[in-house]
Amino acid sequence: MTDAGAIASLERFSYWYPGTERPAVDDVTLTLDHDAVILAGDSGSGKTTVLRTLNGLVPHFHGGRARGHVTVLGRDALRTPTRTLARAVGMVFQEPETQLVLARVAADVAFGLENQAVPAPMIRERVAGALHALAIGHLRDRRVATLSGGERQRVALAGVLALAPRAIVLDEPSSQLDPAGARALADALAGCLDRGIALVLAEHHPERMRMRGAVTLQLANGRLTAPTPPPRRGHRRCRQPPADHGEVLWSTDGLTVGHRDPVLETGRLHGVRGEVLACTGPNGSGKTTLLRTLAGFLSPLTGSVERRPVRAAYLPQDPGALLHLPTLRAELLQTQRWLGRSAPLRPLLDELGLGGLGDRDPRDCSVGERQRAALAAVLAGEPELILLDEPTRGMDAWARGALGRVIDRLATGGAAIVVATSDAELADELADRLLVVRSGRLEAGRPA
Amino acid sequence: MALRPGQGPSGSAAAAQGAVTEQTGPDPRALGAWVAAVVLVVLGSDDPVVRVLALAAALLLLARGRGRHAGLRRPLVLVGAAAAGTIVLNTLLSHTGADVVVSLPGWLPGVGGPLTAEALLFGIDIALGLSACLVAALTLARLVEPEALAGALPGPLRHTGAALGAALTLAPRLAQGVTAIREAQAMRGWRPRGLRSWAAVVVPAVLTAIEGSLQLAEAMEARGYGAGRRSAYRERHWGVGDTVLGCCAVLALGLFAAAALTGGNPGWYPYPTPTAPAASPLLLAACAVLVLPAAAA
Repeated sequence: MTDAGAIASLERFSYWYPGTERPAVDDVTLTLDHDAVILAGDSGSGKTTVLRTLNGLVPHFHGGRARGHVTVLGRDALRTPTRTLARAVGMVFQEPETQLVLARVAADVAFGLENQAVPAPMIRERVAGALHALAIGHLRDRRVATLSGGERQRVALAGVLALAPRAIVLDEPSSQLDPAGARALADALAGCLDRGIALVLAEHHPERMRMRGAVTLQLANGRLTAPTPPPRRGHRRCRQPPADHGEVLWSTDGLTVGHRDPVLETGRLHGVRGEVLACTGPNGSGKTTLLRTLAGFLSPLTGSVERRPVRAAYLPQDPGALLHLPTLRAELLQTQRWLGRSAPLRPLLDELGLGGLGDRDPRDCSVGERQRAALAAVLAGEPELILLDEPTRGMDAWARGALGRVIDRLATGGAAIVVATSDAELADELADRLLVVRSGRLEAGRPA
Repeated sequence: MALRPGQGPSGSAAAAQGAVTEQTGPDPRALGAWVAAVVLVVLGSDDPVVRVLALAAALLLLARGRGRHAGLRRPLVLVGAAAAGTIVLNTLLSHTGADVVVSLPGWLPGVGGPLTAEALLFGIDIALGLSACLVAALTLARLVEPEALAGALPGPLRHTGAALGAALTLAPRLAQGVTAIREAQAMRGWRPRGLRSWAAVVVPAVLTAIEGSLQLAEAMEARGYGAGRRSAYRERHWGVGDTVLGCCAVLALGLFAAAALTGGNPGWYPYPTPTAPAASPLLLAACAVLVLPAAAA
């Protein structure tokens, strides 16, 4: 333990976000007294709310109703403002894109220190120290917009570390990262533990963020539950590989994709009905650019793309962004209207674990639920060509399994599917054909 | 000099590691003072020679500091168009001056009547002043990042400056969001049919932007924003270039003030017949001082 007392204790704590009937955290009593605590649980289980409580964002920033007692490092967290708690408890959020405040790395890392009115010369020293501790000194003068997700998460961690906190809480910090980014972040977190900083981590992939001596607490529906063994991540395929001479729905010839400069060379490719093609490679290797070119949004730099005029679906990264109607059902009906389809929606919703959420506003759902909602929205039009960009970003183990089953069903039904993912495991489980980006070229084979 | 890429304490180290190090430009306060000096000298004197020199100083500084600031063509074309428009309008509408070049029929509304060489000259003089001010402002927009500008606000405005700096990072994301959403909706079968159909793109883009700002606000709150007094950290050191820029600005302002006080700012007016500009030595010296930072870069 970092010191004599517990990091935090919650006593019969319940919390309701503004305008909600159901508590996000329901009568939870727990004590966090280990150096490393992992909060496990599915999307919407209350992990994020518990973390927000630990540095006062709940209830001070979010409003809503709270009941019970929360003590963080000896202070009454329900009465201490976030700006005071922030000195002792730092927070790293899930989204790499929306938590860095300023445009340059050094300026951003300095932001929290400026808020504490630390004198400028000392800020310089502590910024350099934090960047050095996380082995990202070379990013010091970079613009945040040019960083990868993994780099951004480490910069966010540096901004917190510079404040010399007693504890850091992290909300699924690796869920948006590729394996290399997640590994670098895990190393950085091990360094924090070595410095005697306690960590509380909400995580879908505890195996990616393995920390020595970590204790796991399980949450479900806002309550603390008995630890459950993680559901089997692997998805067992129950579909035959497609026939060799299936109908070709798209093909490329001598293709190079990119915005102005070439990013990825793919040469000759094709996709047939019933086939799942997975394209793997690290973040920033051109997978999204390839999908956008196949979808017809970008012109090829060289070569050509041919696509049969079939119903298509495209799941972009940050898919929640495309939802705009008041209920999930309305979103699905909208897709059907646009594409002139009318299949019953219930099976699709059930398949994705959204059966009870049809009348909910998608924007009130948790991050993981919203991801599935967007998937349901693009699949409601019974597409024949399906392009999925990082579909497992932010998904828990159950949702991953559900995604696998849906993809299997759609492929069996004759759809041609292309999945771009940095999740090598997913690619292995699902794909009939694996392509991997190696030094700017797309080649057949599996990721290293 | 302040305008070279890769300057800053660890710039060379980062470059050595193969990282993309982007320059941070001159100090916003030094450049702000210089721009203010250019604008004051230009607006305070009608002398075309002074205006030509001030315009040259601004263009030179802009060119020297370009580095990563590609895409200057468009704003410069706009400045050129504004200048040309000013010249044409003054020539067509003034009708004053002794040297008539051509006379347009009187029944033409506004432009009918004599068009004079003096009107053309005065139009050019106004255009020079306008261009010098615009190009000077362009240096501020191009050489200094908006966040740095917001961060350079003095003590009482520091909170606002930090919030402004944070808000500025949201704008490019909104633009990317619109593109991504339009593409995704198009694949769902959406087609732009009339104004109402755009709700499918605009509504999610705006909602996403609002969510983005809320998340940003939450991140700022979690890092102790708004806790009373705030210090200011500048990631770049005040360099020799900044001193040169700031000193030149102050010196130019001093020379301008001296010219104004001693009657050394005679002005220039081409009507009714043009005269040669008086070329006040104090104002010419002020211009020379303003050119200095770019020449030294």
